[in-house]
Amino acid sequence: MIRERLGKELLFFDGGMGTLLQEEGLLPGELPESWNITHPEIIQSIHRKYIEAGSDIILTNTFGANALKFHDDTLSLKAIVQTAVSHVHAAAKEAACGRRIYTALDIGPTGKLLKPMGDLDFETAYEAFKEVMLYGSEAGADVIHIETMSDTYELKAAVLAAKENTALPVFVTTIFDERGKLLTGADVPSVAALLEGLRVDALGINCGMGPRQMLPVLDALLKYTSLPVIVKPNAGLPKQKDGVTYYDVAPEAFADTMEQIVKKGAAAVGGCCGTTPEHIRAMAERCGGIPVKAAEKKVFTVVSSYGQAVFLEEGSKIIGERINPTGKKKFKQALKDHDLDYILKEGIMQQDKGAHILDVNVGLPDIDEPAMMKEVVESLQSVTSLPLQIDTVDTEALETALRIYNGKAMVNSVSGKQESMDQVFPLIAKYGGVVIGLALDENGIPQDAEGRVQIARKIIDEAAKYGIEKKDIVIDALAMTVSSEPEGAKVTLETLRRLRQELRVHTVLGVSNISFGLPSRPVINAAFYTMAMQNGLSAGIINPASEDMMKSWYAYHALMNLDVNCERFIEKYAAADTKPSVLAAASHDMTLQTAIEKGLKEEANTIAARLVMTEEPLSVINEYMIPALNNVGKGFEKGAVFLPQLLMSAEAAKSAFAVLKEKIAEKGGSQEKKEKIVLATVKGDIHDIGKNIVKVLLENYSFEVIDLGKDVPPEKIVKTVCEENIRLAGLSALMTTTVVSMEATIQELRKKAPACKVMVGGAVLNQEYADMIGADFYGKDAMQSVYYAQSVFEKK
Amino acid sequence: MEKRVREAIRYLGFGRNAVDDQTLAMISDSFKELEQAASLKSIYRIFDFRQINDTEMMAGSLKIKSRNLGKNLRGCSDVIFFGATLGTGVDALLRRYTITDMAKTVVLQACAAAMLEEYCDMCQKKIGEKLRKEEKYLRPRFSPGYGDFAIEYQKSLIRMLDCAKTIGLTMTDSCMMTPTKSVTAVIGVSTAEEKCHIKGCEVCEKKDCIYRRDTL
Repeated sequence: MIRERLGKELLFFDGGMGTLLQEEGLLPGELPESWNITHPEIIQSIHRKYIEAGSDIILTNTFGANALKFHDDTLSLKAIVQTAVSHVHAAAKEAACGRRIYTALDIGPTGKLLKPMGDLDFETAYEAFKEVMLYGSEAGADVIHIETMSDTYELKAAVLAAKENTALPVFVTTIFDERGKLLTGADVPSVAALLEGLRVDALGINCGMGPRQMLPVLDALLKYTSLPVIVKPNAGLPKQKDGVTYYDVAPEAFADTMEQIVKKGAAAVGGCCGTTPEHIRAMAERCGGIPVKAAEKKVFTVVSSYGQAVFLEEGSKIIGERINPTGKKKFKQALKDHDLDYILKEGIMQQDKGAHILDVNVGLPDIDEPAMMKEVVESLQSVTSLPLQIDTVDTEALETALRIYNGKAMVNSVSGKQESMDQVFPLIAKYGGVVIGLALDENGIPQDAEGRVQIARKIIDEAAKYGIEKKDIVIDALAMTVSSEPEGAKVTLETLRRLRQELRVHTVLGVSNISFGLPSRPVINAAFYTMAMQNGLSAGIINPASEDMMKSWYAYHALMNLDVNCERFIEKYAAADTKPSVLAAASHDMTLQTAIEKGLKEEANTIAARLVMTEEPLSVINEYMIPALNNVGKGFEKGAVFLPQLLMSAEAAKSAFAVLKEKIAEKGGSQEKKEKIVLATVKGDIHDIGKNIVKVLLENYSFEVIDLGKDVPPEKIVKTVCEENIRLAGLSALMTTTVVSMEATIQELRKKAPACKVMVGGAVLNQEYADMIGADFYGKDAMQSVYYAQSVFEKK
Repeated sequence: MEKRVREAIRYLGFGRNAVDDQTLAMISDSFKELEQAASLKSIYRIFDFRQINDTEMMAGSLKIKSRNLGKNLRGCSDVIFFGATLGTGVDALLRRYTITDMAKTVVLQACAAAMLEEYCDMCQKKIGEKLRKEEKYLRPRFSPGYGDFAIEYQKSLIRMLDCAKTIGLTMTDSCMMTPTKSVTAVIGVSTAEEKCHIKGCEVCEKKDCIYRRDTL
């Protein structure tokens, strides 16, 4: 019933609980939720005071009641949550105020950061929320109220837990700071996009600021959301006196601003820290009777990540197409070898080149696509905040990705085929997303624009049955190969135009399809790209590393007055006229050895490319590269070369190696079989910089490094060592608290793989400590590990 | 040269040696990128302080055992618990460069550490100016993990400051702070001004450390 009233009439929440409990004698450090059992009469009386003050919605005293935060050996979580619900029921009955009182199960954050920023698993957070929600819903809560959240990922876990395990309405409020951002970086539009996609019933702001400071954030929220908005400020900004935190906005002043907030368009209001029944009474008296402004329907087409929202609007967005194995030998190999770094590099490269969204396709015949998709999406989101486009025909992979994706994803794709729509739309309805609809169906691809527009209509109509709005659909007008279909380009362009003008729906194209079978494909692609943008292409799936495509993009936006004062264009190309090419700069006097010793990455790459035209790759390695690396290594040992310089040289060598590798592959030769070394940062430890330094150096000395990452459990290290028959493992740990897991790992390795040598390193370690935990070698710096590895494999 | 640049160079292990132009350029780029990525936040609260004996003391309701901290806080009437962080954006930036350029990652790491110290110094200065009006003076910051002040106290500090909610600072099960570029510390407050503090690096007994500030 609250769903029907929300947004139509103003509803009042209650105010603060914590400060009132402290006044009643709650000690610092004591769990407020334990008072549900130890002081039931106090909890009930606070609820009752709020009801009498005018609150319609009362939050249960369960803010910190979840398995990750609430640790008490004598009180069960179930009892805490269930009594909390019953206290609100009892208070409502006792107050007998004649109004319907709603019991909102209060869900606060776990107090931990989720991976990849912290160490909490998404599913562990989900389970913790689920447990509390099941107890609360069983006990008779009317609403689930998730509040004080500052991380979109934790928020998503909580909302999914509520939606999948209860039928209750879900309200969500988050803490924004004065810049309008969550602590983990999300802005207002990205939070709104995520929550609307997950179909919560209402969203808003609580805590963090007083009512005045919330006004700008409220304006932004009202601009971007179509849902009813909740506002629950603190009684001002926190102040301190004699060691006590207090808030000093008085009830009347609080009510003043709350009136303004309601008039702006808030649908439900209450208070957070420092607010009291007096604040709520003043607010209810002042605001009661003000009609709620109906929320305006927003039609933005928006996708988001944990850190940013991307709108399809005027101009054209770039969707990077490079994370896709189709027609790419190296990418296929990377997928087979589980070489995530290669995939992540493609992502970062496209971001640097100007992509706004990254398409992610990891489909290969012999691959566990759902597992790979999950891993790639998680890894990409740890290094880029660009929104992702999940590109797969495997429904399971799609659902897996949508579930763990932090934000509102783009989905590639659904088609006009009934089967496809039956499979994809339920997932979009559940997780949110903007889905690409291919203008084809059971009868294939229509030859004319009319046919494609008809299919687009069908897709939009079918989506509506799932409650998916047109704003969340983008139609792929389909670019056909012009060499086999002479009218193909014209039909595609007409389709684009009609989709935008007649259907008012956004559009997308895989642009480079147009030129298959033709020479100088970039010429055709770039020209067609410009024409497509001119005809209404909202987003092009292209290769941002293609200079021709990017020239089209920059030029189009400059010409169409979509680039204010041509600023972007000038920034991009002004320098290009004067900047000499690297090839020219890498003077002919400079040798590869010098370039590496000086740590000049681009020069090393260019000179290596020049050398392999006349010399054998192997002799390049022996004559120039190894001497350079040796010199730098020795310099480092003597204290004449320092860590950044050592690593710059290593990166320069790496970029030269890349050229040589390619040359060797070109000639059909296979590289010499490399010795494998496992590296890992031990369980519990999340500082992996030392391990990564060792990795770069070992790779330069021709070792193959199997990098298991950070926070790696002993079992995984042992398993890899056994399966791959590894002779040397390197472990890193930063703190005394994690050296324990290093020792445990060594013990396991001794039992299961006695032949494997173990080298260790890290800030807290020294020779003595390393001996104590039974390591074979302590590397005091990165070069020492290289020398030890060489001695283990007798390479020196 | 700016202090934070000097500090970054020290963290990179250059000691008394001259730094090369390439590294210097990377340091300057790194600070620019960090300014974009960082979201600096801090919090502090003041608690009553009572020393029980040389090794035991009460800070608010928290009992602390540490000889080194006890020495640092001798004669104090109050203590400040302090938390600060550069935010999750810096960790993301570090992860991003780990994939493409380890030299840059190492330099960024050092610059982030220098930026955090600079920020903490600034916060502490502001707190100090405020308390000076009440004729109270601050001691140097002392963090869990210094000397025998156990790292596990981080947990209590984070809880008593409500860091997760206020500044987004949390801790993993193995006492590592997330975001990683964060600080928790105890700052003593006394009514007597001490002119000559030994602080930070110089407190440490490890005198042959290559990262040591050049004061010997």
